[in-house]
Amino acid sequence: MTAPSPSPSPSPTPILILDRVSKRFAGHTAVDELSLSVPSGVIYGLLGPNGAGKTTTLRMIMDILEPDGGTVRVFGEPGGGRAHAERIGYLPEERGLYRKMRVLDVLVFLGEMKGTDRRRARQRAEEWLARLGLTEWRLRRIDELSKGMQQKVQFISTVLHDPDLLVLDEPFSGLDPVNTQVMKDTVLDLRHRGKTILFSTHIMEQAEKLCEQLCIIARGRKLVDGALADIKRTHGGHHLVLGFDGSLGGAAQVFADQTLVSNVDNYGQYAEVELAAGADPQQILQRLVASGARLSRFELQEASLNKIFIDLVGAEAVRA
Amino acid sequence: MRKIRAVIRREFVERVRSKWFWVSAILGPLFFAAIIIIPLHFAAAGGTKAIVVVDGTTSGFGARVADSLARGKTFMIVARSAPRAGLLDSLTREVGLNRLDGLLILADRTVETGAAEYRAANVSSFRDIDELRGVLGRLAVNARLERAGVDPATVGRAQLRIDLRTKKISGSATTGESSAQSFWLAYVMSIVLFIVIAVYGVNVMSSVLEEKTTRIVEVLVSSLRPFELMLGKVVGVGAVSIFQFAIWGLGGRLVLSQRAALIGNVAPADVGQEAAFQLPPVPATTVAVFLGYFLGGFFLYSAMFAAVGAMSSSEQEARQAQQPVVFLLMIAYLSVFALANDPGSPYAVALSLVPFTSPIAMPVRWAAGSVSVSELVMSLALLGVGIGAVTWIAARIYRVGILMTGKRPNLRELIRWVRA
Repeated sequence: MTAPSPSPSPSPTPILILDRVSKRFAGHTAVDELSLSVPSGVIYGLLGPNGAGKTTTLRMIMDILEPDGGTVRVFGEPGGGRAHAERIGYLPEERGLYRKMRVLDVLVFLGEMKGTDRRRARQRAEEWLARLGLTEWRLRRIDELSKGMQQKVQFISTVLHDPDLLVLDEPFSGLDPVNTQVMKDTVLDLRHRGKTILFSTHIMEQAEKLCEQLCIIARGRKLVDGALADIKRTHGGHHLVLGFDGSLGGAAQVFADQTLVSNVDNYGQYAEVELAAGADPQQILQRLVASGARLSRFELQEASLNKIFIDLVGAEAVRA
Repeated sequence: MRKIRAVIRREFVERVRSKWFWVSAILGPLFFAAIIIIPLHFAAAGGTKAIVVVDGTTSGFGARVADSLARGKTFMIVARSAPRAGLLDSLTREVGLNRLDGLLILADRTVETGAAEYRAANVSSFRDIDELRGVLGRLAVNARLERAGVDPATVGRAQLRIDLRTKKISGSATTGESSAQSFWLAYVMSIVLFIVIAVYGVNVMSSVLEEKTTRIVEVLVSSLRPFELMLGKVVGVGAVSIFQFAIWGLGGRLVLSQRAALIGNVAPADVGQEAAFQLPPVPATTVAVFLGYFLGGFFLYSAMFAAVGAMSSSEQEARQAQQPVVFLLMIAYLSVFALANDPGSPYAVALSLVPFTSPIAMPVRWAAGSVSVSELVMSLALLGVGIGAVTWIAARIYRVGILMTGKRPNLRELIRWVRA
């Protein structure tokens, strides 16, 4: 699985804007003046540890909860998603379907809830069931299906009405590997068709592979948001791994330059360098070559999103 | 609006498709017939009692009592014996062994003082006691008159059984309904109203609970307002109940027409028995009042049941939380005898005006005696206001409750939900 190619460029008008949105429950603040902006046509990750306020945020976007403060704008209009139900697909964190209903009936009903008329909902449900290999199960009751099949049906119900914006709350949690793949493929396919996907997760590996933009929150507050590449640049990418081929040249002087290097682990023929803030790795390369060092390896190591996340969230936890 | 229609359709189609619906559609009338008839049958009838008359009279009074009782259907006279040592003890043993139902002890002084004794395993049957008292009283009076020198023929002529026919006046027209029919109609209506409102109210509750526990409700309320969802649910389940009534209407008429065969001699003895067992001519207005109050009661109570479902997290919790609502519904149901006996009493009038009790109380009063149009209008208006207020409160509890997990809210939290 590769990261999505930067096809249809994000339109300048965000599809979803939160402006200082807050939600308080008895005794604690679940979301605290959270502002974020989701551009159209991207995969946007809302990341945070458990209890960070991700689900509450998504519920406010979906009009399931009313914010206590701040404003939500969806498709440029003030107010939550209910008014645009036909353009939004929502997969809640806790899954469930009417157990006694037939698969096709459930899908048609949920399609109708999203404003699709019955005939069209039925037709699209049949298409999706065929696509995910569930055609022969369409007249069976939900409780006759395996858990994996139920997950597929639930996912179909989310995309049945061909929404422009998908809001997925922990979409990968509880999925078996096959369904994880189906989910990823479908999300990427939708993204390539110009849809916007907002999903929450606490699994960073998934976010790193899928997200173009993201927002990390903890304790209801935003820690960082923006494009994944920018975040990695500003919060990671400070490590340089060097390998020497015999001659070290004047490497010791270069490492001693506090404007370039903040810390170094020098093993003789191998060194790990932590860059000083604002230092340009290319300058180090030039200086080393000029000093007569012979390099066999020069690698700028990106910090993983996981590390950035742990650094940020850990720091927040310490502060709190 | 289209979404509400979809919710209504789902509730209706899924329910009508279920086996449960058809089982209750077919067995419902039988079930109602059973719970209406069996208790009354046992309470009132109880079969023929086999008794021994212990005749200590010397005037032939005992023989006459035994003959008279034997002519009735209530008692079978096994034997008439003169009292002797040990007889009472051995007869009492027979009763204890269930070989005999009872013994009637008569002496000469019965005619003088009216004192007699009836010993039996069951002395709580009104019918048995009434019959004994009637026969003994009549024959004792006869014996005294004869002793006073009155010609027995005169005594016979002087006796007159009163055949009191009762006709209900509705508006200013005399209807064909007898008091027994009025009572029957009121009694049957109260049972049907109570059970159907409770059963379909609980249906609404479990439907709410299902959506809450499966979390489908999140998807739903992101598409339509919680109130719209609740409304669609209540209307959908209500439509099922009306459909159920339509089926019962046919089945029920069939059962009622066979009532004479089913219930035997249950009706009060002073009413012409044949009249009591005919199919009561249920006027269209009574049907309209019944259905009107059923719908009103259903909406009122299912809103409450919806709120109960929303504030609970499991079936067990809901079963507990529904109890106050069921008790509220039971008040009028348990008052049905009082209502039917004296439909004009202040208690009956109050019950038929208060929205929580009027859905059962008013149809019962309407069937048992006539209710003025102004009272009916007032009661309906109050019911309308009640439905509005209760639905408003229930919808606010529902809105918050369906998304809540964890422990059931206490009263203070509920009030906060409503005021939020």
